[in-house]
Amino acid sequence: MSAASIDLDGVHLHYSAAAYKEQSLKALLGRAFHRRPRAPVADIHALDGVTFNVKSGERLGLLGRNGAGKTTLLKTMAGLYPISAGRLQVNGHVRALFDLSLGFEPDATGRENILYRGLLLGQSPRFMRAHEAEIVEFADLGVFIDYPLKTYSAGMQVRLAFAISTSIPGEILLLDEVIAAGDMGFMVKARERIRHLIGKAELLVVASHDLVTLESLCTRVLWLDHGQVQYDGPVEEAIARYRQYVEGPGDASLAPVVSPT
Amino acid sequence: MDYFRGIWSARYFWLHLALSDLRSKWRRSFFGVAWSVIQPLGLTLLLSAVFGRIFKSPMGEYAPYILSGIVVWDFTIAISNNGSLAFVQADAYIKQCRHPLAIYTLRIVITNLIVAALASLPLYAWVLIVFPQHFGWPWIAALSIYPMMLLIGWPLATLLAYVATRFRDVPYALTLVLQAVWFVSPVYFEARIFRDAGLNFLVEGNPIYHVLQLVRAPLLEGHWPSTMDFTYSLGAACVMAALAWAVGRKAERRIVFYL
Repeated sequence: MSAASIDLDGVHLHYSAAAYKEQSLKALLGRAFHRRPRAPVADIHALDGVTFNVKSGERLGLLGRNGAGKTTLLKTMAGLYPISAGRLQVNGHVRALFDLSLGFEPDATGRENILYRGLLLGQSPRFMRAHEAEIVEFADLGVFIDYPLKTYSAGMQVRLAFAISTSIPGEILLLDEVIAAGDMGFMVKARERIRHLIGKAELLVVASHDLVTLESLCTRVLWLDHGQVQYDGPVEEAIARYRQYVEGPGDASLAPVVSPT
Repeated sequence: MDYFRGIWSARYFWLHLALSDLRSKWRRSFFGVAWSVIQPLGLTLLLSAVFGRIFKSPMGEYAPYILSGIVVWDFTIAISNNGSLAFVQADAYIKQCRHPLAIYTLRIVITNLIVAALASLPLYAWVLIVFPQHFGWPWIAALSIYPMMLLIGWPLATLLAYVATRFRDVPYALTLVLQAVWFVSPVYFEARIFRDAGLNFLVEGNPIYHVLQLVRAPLLEGHWPSTMDFTYSLGAACVMAALAWAVGRKAERRIVFYL
């Protein structure tokens, strides 16, 4: 039906170091008076020659440790980050579920926020009103839908955001570790809905640490490390290799799976 | 052109943002919307009473002069200050959804344009009462000040936003610059004071004077603004647009890193 696809060819992405360096008068004076050179801040090479393509109907999982580049890759595909080299082509409308607490207005009710987020995602007020009932029903928040958003728990926000984002048309769905939130009942519903979306020959890319989630959702997994593709293939094989890699003996440098994200 | 298509297709979103800014501005205050009218009017009465004495200008004509100055100047300050923080304020949206960044400054310009339009209502009323003979076709030109404020203000705010997101010193420096500009412009002080002091270039070469003339000539003097006034105003808009475009060409995609 739809010809949604994502094509990446040798994509590089650098976070420019200028954004993280301290460029203040204080830092300047500090440099003038202290002879000791500071540790230089280099550009962060977040994606390093990533090449792959995803076609309509595929469910791609992104796997990797914290800081491996999963979220960066998703955001790049969503067109949020400028790539520094390579080619990126995305055919189809992208809808993305990233940081779900963003873009909600805490003082407005859930119902109002449905409209607001819909507008953020580029829909018309008419479209949102037509779909409001369906979104309310799917989010299943009961009376809370008419309460201000600041009274919501994190899980409830996720449910609402998920319900809104998945009811807006677009062939490509990008998910970032969000389905793990929400209670069991909702996760079952969310998976059902994702399956339904996939059933309509659409395209899903999901980043998650939860191997079980990936196993149940995806057909193919891309394992990233240090911004490079380590493995790209069927889900069972990828997870088996990743397990072996993480739990594998002898490689001490890999043992702590801790990093600031 | 694609850029403007993006702005157009996101129109519901930025209109919503602008309107919700207005709602939150007036929320929970008794006078609400009325403050946008009362506040500049109150300041006008105060200033014209004092300065009118000092500069020996009759209050009847000095008050609308000051009010027109306040309306345009408050707008300038608001869009410069809020505009320079527009991207920082909208970071939640920018990190989530790809829209042309100029919609976040457009939101601020529109909000303040509506405030300015409200604040200028007493101006028309005052002039109609005190100088009914000034009413006529040139008033159409007076209305052109609003689109002109949009045409100059939007690129200006966008330019400042690009730069200020990268260099967070801008808002501080801006306060100083704006105060300096205010001092050398016929915003509250009458143009003749500058002329009498031999500072005519601060009047004739000053886009702010010419933009203000768009509304002052028809309302206070009852004639059309000069070609010079339109030329300077449009020229300022073109210069701002060119600058914003030149900076934005490179900065637009990189802003997300600095948020």
